Amino acid sequence: MARRRDEEDDDVEDEEYEDDEEQLLDDEDYDEDEDLGRGRGGSSRKRLRSDFIDVVAEEDDEEDEDDDDEGFGGGGKRHNKAPRVGSQFFDLEAQVDSDEEEEEDEGEDDFIVESGADLPDEDVDRRMHRRPLPLREDEQEDVEALERSIQARYARSSHTEYDEETTDVEQQALLPSVRDPKLWMVKCAIGRERETAVCLMQKYIDRGSELQIRSVIALDHLKNYIYIEADKEAHVREAVKGLRNIFATKIMLVPIREMTDVLSVESKAIDLSRDTWVRMKIGTYKGDLAQVVDVDNVRQRITVKLIPRIDLQALANKLEGREVAKKKAFVPPPRFMNVDEARELHIRVERRRDPMTGDYFENIGGMLFKDGFLYKTVSMKSISAQNIKPTFDELEKFRTPSENGEGEMVGLSTLFANRKKGHFMKGDAVIVVKGDLKNLKGWVEKVEEENVHIRPEMKGLPKTLAVNEKELCKYFEPGNHVKVVSGTKEGATGMVVKVEQHVLIILSDTTKEHIRIFADDVVESSEVTTGVTKIGEYELHDLVLLDNNSFGVIIRVESEAFQVLKGVPERPEVSLVKLREIKCKLEKKFNVQDRYRNTVSVKDVVRILEGSCKGKQGPVEHIYKGILFVYDRHHLEHAGFICAKADSCCIVGGSRSNGDRNGDSFSRFGSFKTPPRVPPSPRRFSRGGPPFDSGGRHRGGRGGHDALVGTTVKIRQGPFKGYRGRVVDIKGQSVRVELESQMKVVTVDRNFISDNVVISTPYRDTSRYGMGSETPMHPSRTPLHPYMTPMRDPGATPIHDGMRTPMRDRAWNPYAPMSPRRDNWEEGNPASWGNSPQYQPGSPPSRAYEAPTPGSGWASTPGGNYSEAGTPRDSSSAYANAPSPYVPSTPSGQPMTPSSGSYIPGTPGGQPMTPGTGGLDVMSPVIGADNEGPWFMLDILVNVRKSGDETLGVIRELLPDGSCKVALGSNGSGDTVIVLPSEMEIVPPRKSDKIKIMGGSLRGVTGKLIGVDGTDGIVRIDDSLDVKILDLVILAKLP
Amino acid sequence: MGSAPAQIPTSFGHELRACLRCRLVKTYDQFRESGCENCPFFKMDEDNERVVDCTTPNFNGIISVMDPTRSWAARWLRIGRFVPGCYTLAVSEALPEDLQNLCEEVHVQYVPPKRV
Repeated sequence: MARRRDEEDDDVEDEEYEDDEEQLLDDEDYDEDEDLGRGRGGSSRKRLRSDFIDVVAEEDDEEDEDDDDEGFGGGGKRHNKAPRVGSQFFDLEAQVDSDEEEEEDEGEDDFIVESGADLPDEDVDRRMHRRPLPLREDEQEDVEALERSIQARYARSSHTEYDEETTDVEQQALLPSVRDPKLWMVKCAIGRERETAVCLMQKYIDRGSELQIRSVIALDHLKNYIYIEADKEAHVREAVKGLRNIFATKIMLVPIREMTDVLSVESKAIDLSRDTWVRMKIGTYKGDLAQVVDVDNVRQRITVKLIPRIDLQALANKLEGREVAKKKAFVPPPRFMNVDEARELHIRVERRRDPMTGDYFENIGGMLFKDGFLYKTVSMKSISAQNIKPTFDELEKFRTPSENGEGEMVGLSTLFANRKKGHFMKGDAVIVVKGDLKNLKGWVEKVEEENVHIRPEMKGLPKTLAVNEKELCKYFEPGNHVKVVSGTKEGATGMVVKVEQHVLIILSDTTKEHIRIFADDVVESSEVTTGVTKIGEYELHDLVLLDNNSFGVIIRVESEAFQVLKGVPERPEVSLVKLREIKCKLEKKFNVQDRYRNTVSVKDVVRILEGSCKGKQGPVEHIYKGILFVYDRHHLEHAGFICAKADSCCIVGGSRSNGDRNGDSFSRFGSFKTPPRVPPSPRRFSRGGPPFDSGGRHRGGRGGHDALVGTTVKIRQGPFKGYRGRVVDIKGQSVRVELESQMKVVTVDRNFISDNVVISTPYRDTSRYGMGSETPMHPSRTPLHPYMTPMRDPGATPIHDGMRTPMRDRAWNPYAPMSPRRDNWEEGNPASWGNSPQYQPGSPPSRAYEAPTPGSGWASTPGGNYSEAGTPRDSSSAYANAPSPYVPSTPSGQPMTPSSGSYIPGTPGGQPMTPGTGGLDVMSPVIGADNEGPWFMLDILVNVRKSGDETLGVIRELLPDGSCKVALGSNGSGDTVIVLPSEMEIVPPRKSDKIKIMGGSLRGVTGKLIGVDGTDGIVRIDDSLDVKILDLVILAKLP
Repeated sequence: MGSAPAQIPTSFGHELRACLRCRLVKTYDQFRESGCENCPFFKMDEDNERVVDCTTPNFNGIISVMDPTRSWAARWLRIGRFVPGCYTLAVSEALPEDLQNLCEEVHVQYVPPKRV
């Protein structure tokens, strides 16, 4: 150590850089020394330590002095200077001593140091030889030279104040300041980012300091751009001049606070070890899950185990030298290799023993197989190992019988490795899955980086235990209602019916099927959704025509495929169908006759008279080629769908679609003893929800005559799609429409029109009404009501029921209880709304209103007005910005409260989904106009304006029609009155008021307003004591 | 300050490797022939096997540091004291243990990459 310094001193003069480096070493010596002081270390370290003792001892004084000047505040870094200088001096003097000690030490160490310690010994030898030389030189060296060298060090150390040691705190100290050079973003040729950076380096070397740039950064994940660090833009321009890969047309300055983001790349900690799950990035197996079998770090190769996708026939052809189609038309499905099958096709199968592992492999055409798996060696670059979340199905497939339990644990650890930060939250119920405490249950109290402090359930244990998060798993009990938050089933909800350690079996709310899912992927939630219900234009429960002219109902939507219940009445046949295998959606409505020659149309309730599903009954959802798809909610298979021949069914009760609409249908059912109208309540399906109820209410006064006649409608589908016209006549399902543009009368299906383009209706002028009907969130209009809360269906008169045309119903589906939590709402939407183009009357900016909300649909206001009317998109986007899929339902207990932000953009303001609050008031001029408002909730303070007076009151009850029971008085001690939403107003809170949050992800949460910043309120949440910044308008004062 | 720059990578493809200690980026051949300018104690030029142990092809991003002492980026990345040259922003592997010990022996600090 000391000797090193001597050497170094020699070098100082001639090679500055060396010196710099050595200096660094010095610093580190110091650190090292501290380290060693803690008492670890083997023989060689010990030796070092011993010769350091002197140095340190003597340094102490120095250090103290130093401390006076600088203090210790800077941590280990700053006082490096002093010791360095000190050691410089003292090393030289202390040398002799330390050497002696070292020798002694070495003697002692000998029996510890075994043959493995060759290297250090050698080192010492070498040093010993060298030692005399520097010593002598040292003597020759005059004091001035020494002084000079020290000064040089001193001077330099001023701008290298930092150390190589990284702690977060010190890293903070390095944050860029205004004095630092800036980062400039420069466009460069795609794929040439690295090259460009290297070229600039070369240019710098060639041109010397002419180039005034400091560094060039090429990020792997940022194509087309590089960053150049320089003080001035001109420097950048100068530097990039003449580089063909750089297009210096635009040089963008990176804002100072984004500079660190540029450099913070996550070091891809690829932990490729045996059994890690990976995914293939390229080739036939692209996207497939694979398991690492062997890693060759040197050659960067990796052997993985895959489920083969091999077309044996094609392989046989190839091996026999027959013509092979050049371009593969399709990717063979994954299937385990069956050696016998291969042999049948005369494919040569060699059984070989791997010399390294001793395992036997079947070699087929150069590919290695074992237990049906393909063992493939690929470049590490061709797999992705990050964030691999094998789905349950995939893992299931991978599991071979021999490694049942074990295989699962492997999957478990992989899953854990991919957990996101903040996986556990305070209050989560957890179970220990590994280690001594296995199966201990508890609740999360506190989460540290790696450790989770849990409050164990068992008595007699410490109050909290710190458990590594890798040993923990979320815990659910049968009966919990959960929502899936990641994986392919994301968005689905259901009830936990069984818990197998970290695997839950959930009874899905929609499909009534069992889903096996990792406990990690779910959160407790009372929400009821279905997850993905749509791919492309196909949606759950659609009737589709398949490739081979078979047809069926989509009963489940998976991430990339549909499960389709085929239209084969003999036995339930379900097949997994890819999007491309679906030819089209079948939307045409047919009527068929049942066994007794009664006409059956969609929505009629039928009973199945024969076959395996005999006795089941339910509404007909689809009719095609004499086959009925009946939905029976008691049928637990196939999402409740039953496929039956029309003539093995008989109609029961009234035909919903006809009975209500045409008087004559009553007579038809006269022979039945059942009431003409089937109680709609028990249907899970909300398609029948009355989306136009409120519209109907306004029309109600017209009596028996069909309200549509005389109104102006727009045709949504068919050859006259997009045309507008006046309804002249209605006959059953068909409507005769006089087209405005063509001066002729056409007949269209009633389902194909929309009556919301009411140009000449009187309602237009009744602005007050109009406004009311614009409110898309009027409770009675939300289709989910009839199902969830039948009593809240005041507007549902039979005639409106008639409006419940299936087509439209589908369009409304999003609002229905089974409504999807659509992640791809925006993409998905246009397709589904495609049927109803007039719903987007050319107002693209108001995205929120693109969706055919019942209100906007019915309102006489074309969409354009809508946005002009000052209905701010902001408020809805405020919702949208707060996507919080985890939020359990609102306190009002409405199970379908949408907590997912992604859903909401389609629903104006997002309110329609929270009918329970009742405060869906947009008629209120103040609140409604701002569209901030209809968020009345229990317990909040409101300003009641009744008959000219203004009084304060507290909402005590929310009534289904949107009005509220309000207890008057500032603390609700007065009389209780019923107040319409338009008559009250939320009382804006002031600083230090208690508040309730009326919107966003924290809806319903109470807290205290601890400060106001412009339009933002700073809120401390009561429960968590978290401080949140929220828009003031969504805060309501509590009494 | 004009310390001699490190060798500049001669290619930009898969041959590139980064020193696990100082994150200097060069080609495999360059490391083999002349070692790492910042970490001469690895003696990669003497023992070619070492190149494989001390360097990695798995790294993320490249930064060419012209002026390490005055570059903020270099300082932020803690490579401000190394010679000018091409470095990587982050390596994903840690130095093998025996080489970490070697660092310790020669009193060179080694900071293993942070795990995400």
